[in-house]
Amino acid sequence: MAAVIKTVNLTKRYGSLVALSNLNLEINEGDCFGFIGPNGAGKSTTIKILATLLQPTWGEARVCDYVVGYESRKIRPLIGYVPDYFGAYEDMCVLEYLEFFAAAYNLNGPQRTKIVNDVLELTDLGYKKDALVDGLSRGMKQRLSIARVLLHDPKVLLLDEPAGNLDPRARIEMRELLKELRRMGKTIMISSHILPELQDLCNTVGIIEQGELIYAGPWTEIVNKAKTGRVLHVGVAENQAQAAAILSQDPSIANINTNNGYMEILLNEGVNDHTFVPARLIQAGFKLTLLKEEEVNLETAFMRLTKGLVQ
Amino acid sequence: MLGLTDYLWRLLPANPILVRVVETASKRKRDLIIRCLYLGLLIAVVLFSLGTSTTSYSGMSLGDLTKASSNIFENMSYLQLGLVALLAPIFTAGAITQEKDSQTYDILLTTPLSNGQVVLGSLMSRLFFVIALLISGVPIFSVTQIFGGVAISSISLSFLIAAATAFVTGSLAMAIATFKVGTRRTIFSFYMFIVLFMVGTFLMDQMEYFKIGLIDPLTGKPSGELSQTSWLTAINPFLALKAIFHDKRYMAPGITLLPPNLQRFPMGWMLAWPTTFYISFMFFLSFLLVMPSIILLRRMAQSTNTIRGFILQKLKLSTGDKTRKPRAVWSNPIAWREAKTKASATRASFLRYGFILAGLIAAFAVVLFYSRQMPVKNWVDRGSFNAAENTLYIAGNNGGTFMIDPARVQVNLGDQQKNVSILADKLQVISFQIANMGKQRFVSVIDLKEIPRALDEATSRKYLLGLVILEAAVILLIITNAAASTVTREKEDGTLDLLLSTPITSHFYIWGKLRGLVSFVLPLVAVPAISCAMFVTYDLLRWMGNESQFKWLVLPEAVVLLPVTLIIVSAFAAILGMQMSLRCRTTVRAVMSSVGIMLGICGFLGWCGLAIVEGFRGTDSLSLAFASFSPFALMAILVDPYQYGGRVFENSDPSEILGARVIMVIFGLIATGVYAAIVWSMYKSMVKNFDMTVRKQSR
Repeated sequence: MAAVIKTVNLTKRYGSLVALSNLNLEINEGDCFGFIGPNGAGKSTTIKILATLLQPTWGEARVCDYVVGYESRKIRPLIGYVPDYFGAYEDMCVLEYLEFFAAAYNLNGPQRTKIVNDVLELTDLGYKKDALVDGLSRGMKQRLSIARVLLHDPKVLLLDEPAGNLDPRARIEMRELLKELRRMGKTIMISSHILPELQDLCNTVGIIEQGELIYAGPWTEIVNKAKTGRVLHVGVAENQAQAAAILSQDPSIANINTNNGYMEILLNEGVNDHTFVPARLIQAGFKLTLLKEEEVNLETAFMRLTKGLVQ
Repeated sequence: MLGLTDYLWRLLPANPILVRVVETASKRKRDLIIRCLYLGLLIAVVLFSLGTSTTSYSGMSLGDLTKASSNIFENMSYLQLGLVALLAPIFTAGAITQEKDSQTYDILLTTPLSNGQVVLGSLMSRLFFVIALLISGVPIFSVTQIFGGVAISSISLSFLIAAATAFVTGSLAMAIATFKVGTRRTIFSFYMFIVLFMVGTFLMDQMEYFKIGLIDPLTGKPSGELSQTSWLTAINPFLALKAIFHDKRYMAPGITLLPPNLQRFPMGWMLAWPTTFYISFMFFLSFLLVMPSIILLRRMAQSTNTIRGFILQKLKLSTGDKTRKPRAVWSNPIAWREAKTKASATRASFLRYGFILAGLIAAFAVVLFYSRQMPVKNWVDRGSFNAAENTLYIAGNNGGTFMIDPARVQVNLGDQQKNVSILADKLQVISFQIANMGKQRFVSVIDLKEIPRALDEATSRKYLLGLVILEAAVILLIITNAAASTVTREKEDGTLDLLLSTPITSHFYIWGKLRGLVSFVLPLVAVPAISCAMFVTYDLLRWMGNESQFKWLVLPEAVVLLPVTLIIVSAFAAILGMQMSLRCRTTVRAVMSSVGIMLGICGFLGWCGLAIVEGFRGTDSLSLAFASFSPFALMAILVDPYQYGGRVFENSDPSEILGARVIMVIFGLIATGVYAAIVWSMYKSMVKNFDMTVRKQSR
């Protein structure tokens, strides 16, 4: 599959601050790429460069094989950019707002009317078309932002924190909308801090920290990579310290951490059967209150990777 | 007692808001530059005044020295007040949007700081810089003390006038902010209100209507004289300042010269001592504006509705519902937004149509008053003189039909002797002498004069010129504001990035903006042009009526040259505003700097143009050619050539006047071409550098 977005040694400096350092990234057509990183890691800068709003200091960024900076005019009709804030013209209503941006994409006449109506229907905003943009709720505004970027049917969507500050219902609605767009074949690059949702939505992810890309690839891989061994959470009714002492003698167990009322037991690599743990505790007369294998998801992977657990 | 002292100490000297500003103010580079420029200007005025007073002080008498000193003081005081009037709104206007712009405002309200501390701290921190500027100018003012001639009290009054002006401006901005009657757009209205108030009251002061009829203190009866100062002297800082210079042409009347009903307090104080009244009144007004803000600050902050919204809902003009019928968007969305959304907003429509209507009504009223002839006792008109029968009918009380001998009758128009053909014009008969020759009564001498009008020619021109200049100033302020806020507002709203990620090019964007601005402002430009056209039409009707004493009231070429000049100056204002809008990060900064630059350029060009016409009195054609390059001077000459056109219009040689007019038209058009080239090159450079400038600022 052809890479729709490609960056080669992409570097961006603001004075002495290095916002991006030699970023190498490839996103294929139809991919939904989740861009994760702490605040100030360089996510928005990368998205802005791809949206032709910033010039890289060094390196190259390509969108649909066009080079940012040299062929920005060819890139703009192919992308839809949603920033991490809502750009609202305070004196426009929803329909005017969409017509305004449709005209910016050279859509005029009956074609424009049809597209605007279609997009309003797709984003379920038809009943709000006379409402002033300034008076919309945050969720509605974000939906309107998505409606805006769909007007010219772009190949690539660049979404910078589209679900930030949304209430749970608006977030779920947004996620469903993005899933629909993915089904329509759009290539989506989305940055977000809500990792479970990215896991649900994206097939690939990239983790960036201090301007450097730590990982890029399928999220399942990163989760596996973050696994350092199987971890069991085990709770006993009393004498937790004694239980920990008994288990620590077992050669299959690498480490035990006692937490708030339960033990975090790290099994040695290659140990797939953990049934010996409850058996040994019951045999020693302990009453089990908890037995659960830790699930490694994107969130845990992110925490481990960005804390430098995996280099 | 200790509690009160502590409260007062915390209210201002130890007010944390003020302390923060005072501590950081001296470290800011921008403040240092402004302070240097301000003091530099004051020093320049002193040196200029010293240089122009005389070439050598050695031969000057003490009287001359004191005169030179008071001249320096006068110039410096005007400059100081002008700069304070210019800077105070700039520094205080920010208060209007503090709630919206500043994230710290809400936090401040949740602290134990009292309302008084918040309001006064905010007010004083905004005024601190202006007050600091005033104080820094004291050593320069003391130069006048070397020569004498200027009383310390006059210097103190001059400083107090400037300080009172700054305080009332700041207090007004604070009141607007507290009572939520302002938005970001209000900043411009606020600025314009202050400029228009000062300019308007200054111009109105010239009108006799606002002067006071004085009495003879001995008899107590009207003396028939009017005061030099007016009702407006006590409310305009420049007039109040003018009154302290002991200028023989602008002295406040003594209290005993005022009619008895105006001698009482506070009228007597206002009219007889306008300067001290101005200072006291403005400080009192500041207090009145600040007190409700202090009392109601937190209550108003808790309110979710604005006063405007509340009033509109009470009047059932608004339901509070945030919906509107959508309008059709043009194919150039940028132009559409500039022209439509701004123009069709209720307030903008009201202002725009209000401006057009007021301008046209005012011009029509001046034409009407000019055309209205006052009733006279006796007059002659077309048909009065019968050349076939040699009779003259004099209308009016002592009139009748008389014989006339064209060869012997003496016809005087003013102090000029005229031919009998003039008797066909409508003229007032001041007096006539009858000689009896047999049974027939012959008119031997007849003294005529123009029938007085409700507004005479010179006053009509003065009014029209005032109107045109005021309209031009308002148009330029409107377009400068609209242009200066156009890009910064998109930066602030976050919509610029959205537009930049679309296929819209810099050329398309800037052209769209300019097109929108022009279509927004074009109907306004038509107002002064139509005002002049009304006079020219009336003149044409007079001319067709074969009035032998015909003289254009307004030069007819004004109908073409005036709008052309105004359009090109507006285009310059628009492009300058857009340049500043592109470079500045905030709307307030862009608007204030653009307006400041425009005022400076227009003032400088206007002064240069009129100074050239005055200065080159020996070579009038050359001076007119140069003056045509100054838009405001050109407007003044077109509308009132006899006052501002120099010597050539003062003499009555028609061929010389015609030559001067031709030169003015040619050079006026050349000047327009030059300005158009400047505007075009600024536009091209803006298009070229747009991407770089905007992307540099991308957040």
